[in-house]
Amino acid sequence: MTDPISPSSQPPSKPAAPSPAKPSGEPISRRDFLWLGWSALVAFLGTGAAATARFFFPNVIYEPSQKFNAGPAKSFGLGVDLRWLNEQRVWIIRTDKGFYALWARCTHLGCTPNWFGDQGRFRCPCHGSNYTVEGDVIAGPAPRPLWRPAIELTSTGDLMIDKAVLQDLPGLREKEPFFLTYNG
Amino acid sequence: MAETTQAPPPGGPKLPDFASIKKAVVDSQVWRSMFRGGVWKDTPRDRAAHVIGNVWLHLHPVRVRKRALEWTYSWGLGGISFLLFLILTVTGVLLMFYYRPTVDLAYRDMKDLEFAVTLGKLMRNMHRWSAQAMVVFVILHMVRVFLTGAYKKPREFNWGVGVLLLTLTLFLSFTGYLLPWDQLAMWAVTVGTNMAGATPFLGNEGPFGTMMGMRINNDVRFTLLGGTMVGENTLVRFYVLHCVAVPLLVGVLLIVHFWRVRKDSFSAAPRDPGEEKAEVWPHLITREYIAAAGCMVAILLWSVLMNAPLEVMANPNVTPNPSKAPWYFVGLQELLVYFDPWIAGVMLPNLIIVGLMAIPYLDINPKGVGQYAWGERKFANVLFLLGVAMWFILIYIGYYCRGPNFAWYWPWESWLTQKAAPPFTWNLFGPDPQWRMLVGHDPQWKVLVDPPVANVSVLPIWLGLPVIGGGFALAMALPKLVQKEIKSGLAHVLFFGAMALLVVLLHFAVKVPFSQGLWLPFFGYLAFYFGFLLPQRHIRSLEWTRYLITMFFVVSMMGVLVKMGARLGFNIKYLLTLPAVSLNI
Repeated sequence: MTDPISPSSQPPSKPAAPSPAKPSGEPISRRDFLWLGWSALVAFLGTGAAATARFFFPNVIYEPSQKFNAGPAKSFGLGVDLRWLNEQRVWIIRTDKGFYALWARCTHLGCTPNWFGDQGRFRCPCHGSNYTVEGDVIAGPAPRPLWRPAIELTSTGDLMIDKAVLQDLPGLREKEPFFLTYNG
Repeated sequence: MAETTQAPPPGGPKLPDFASIKKAVVDSQVWRSMFRGGVWKDTPRDRAAHVIGNVWLHLHPVRVRKRALEWTYSWGLGGISFLLFLILTVTGVLLMFYYRPTVDLAYRDMKDLEFAVTLGKLMRNMHRWSAQAMVVFVILHMVRVFLTGAYKKPREFNWGVGVLLLTLTLFLSFTGYLLPWDQLAMWAVTVGTNMAGATPFLGNEGPFGTMMGMRINNDVRFTLLGGTMVGENTLVRFYVLHCVAVPLLVGVLLIVHFWRVRKDSFSAAPRDPGEEKAEVWPHLITREYIAAAGCMVAILLWSVLMNAPLEVMANPNVTPNPSKAPWYFVGLQELLVYFDPWIAGVMLPNLIIVGLMAIPYLDINPKGVGQYAWGERKFANVLFLLGVAMWFILIYIGYYCRGPNFAWYWPWESWLTQKAAPPFTWNLFGPDPQWRMLVGHDPQWKVLVDPPVANVSVLPIWLGLPVIGGGFALAMALPKLVQKEIKSGLAHVLFFGAMALLVVLLHFAVKVPFSQGLWLPFFGYLAFYFGFLLPQRHIRSLEWTRYLITMFFVVSMMGVLVKMGARLGFNIKYLLTLPAVSLNI
């Protein structure tokens, strides 16, 4: 072979070995070299893509605390209380046994439903989901009940609500810390 | 300075002579260096050199097929879409000079643009209205290309690029309307990004999401928002996407799109023997100019007369009632009423995009290329237009028939009218099946008319999976399995006979009112005609691979209709629900 640049110009009369062994003196065969090169390129691009994707996950986020003091428990009457809706996006519900809170985020796509006392329902303005006062879905597209944040009584008699601790499963959501027994 | 050859007019003051000034300017070295080609003699050679020698014009060929120039062929829709993109670029860059993408400042800057910046309101109006016009014109352009069969071989790839451009046009609108930071922005983006949270496997609320370890702070929604709620990071992300990333991508795709259009010589129609071409300069260029001028005037007038809406400042805790997306997404919003978010918000949009891109590879009918051909490609035209019509009917319902709490209000009904709360919904197949509610001790099928409890499932999951899966497969295969063409009249008589019987039976056996029962023949007929009769008549001889892929999209489209009917007529929430893995159909 006189022309090393174009191996295809090799005359066909000369039968090539099926997998050419590396010529003596060469550290690596042409085929293995190309394999290595292309694999390295694919690995590089793949890692680059993964790293770029990782770049879009922030490590630090600056968001408000999910825990707040809702005021004296004795200031709440029976029923659904809307006083914290605009600021903290929760309803606080007092029954004859105690308190629970509902996070006012529709489990369908995250809008804030409205409370209709006459119908006893929360109704969402975005796609028409309906919930009972317990937070269970009764109509519309929402897939699961409203979340209940943890609710506790401080030593000073205030309600502490933590929206970072949530529960929506019947059986668990009626127990502490998602239900506060209170008869003060 | 060149000398004037003309003598000054006798007996008057020396007035500037226009002809001579023009000659002096054109002959100057400066002018000649900018506009080459010597003296313009308006020869074919001059006209060709004009197109070739100008960087802006040379995207055009020198000569173009005459039929591609006809107004009634292309309607200039693609060109107008591009013009609107240019208007959007210019007005968008101007708006950027006065807009700061932070939660505290964004809305104030919008108000400043409206009331304090000279021409700020006009620029914003033009930007908003051009964006909406672009959505309209890109859709119309797609419909035109479809109806003239201009996506067929060898233009399949460019149709796919066009579908991507349509998607990106909508995405640009979506990222754009967060920027004013008003209530529309807040809630449209909250809903939109929560749909991403419903992506199967990748979203924390999607099917199999929790199984894959997805949480609120590590899923695909988190990357879109740059946090767990719409906030500062989200605004910056959408700003960068809207102003830089997506326009660049659109620009790249536009270059490919235009290049391919030119390489494929504009009109797709087979050549006539002895066909002559027309010169691009002046024939195509003047038409483009007229369309551009007309559009410019229309957008300007519209923007002077109509102000772009701006709602009150965003409040992440309070949603307006009702809360509606911009009109081109209201169809999607309406779909979300009937389907779980992972279907309506993720699967269906993706199926629409993939289905549109697959069309040129599925429709191998060689007829009707480069002309409006109704009779020669009835099946393709009917189903495509049905899809477009469904999209716009959904928009109509969402926009005009939905009132407070997203309840159904007819357009003539006042939103102040108090509507009864919607009835309970129930599921067909699901866990803990209460089949007694369907056929039980009570002489009437309670769930069909008025479910006594909410969210009850009446049939077991183990039955639901084969019934729904098998039903879908059967609906796909059936039109091809019936080899002989079904007589249309007979099929209609049989179908409506069976439906009438069913409605009467439901009425007398289980007290389903006729008004409710009529939903059955309505949606049933749409699915029967478009999903069975039409494919049976037109594509049963297609080979199996193409046939099955086509029918997959057709049956999916019919599935949308069937599910809508099930919800509207019978309050069925899910055909099948597997709450353990958040899989609801």
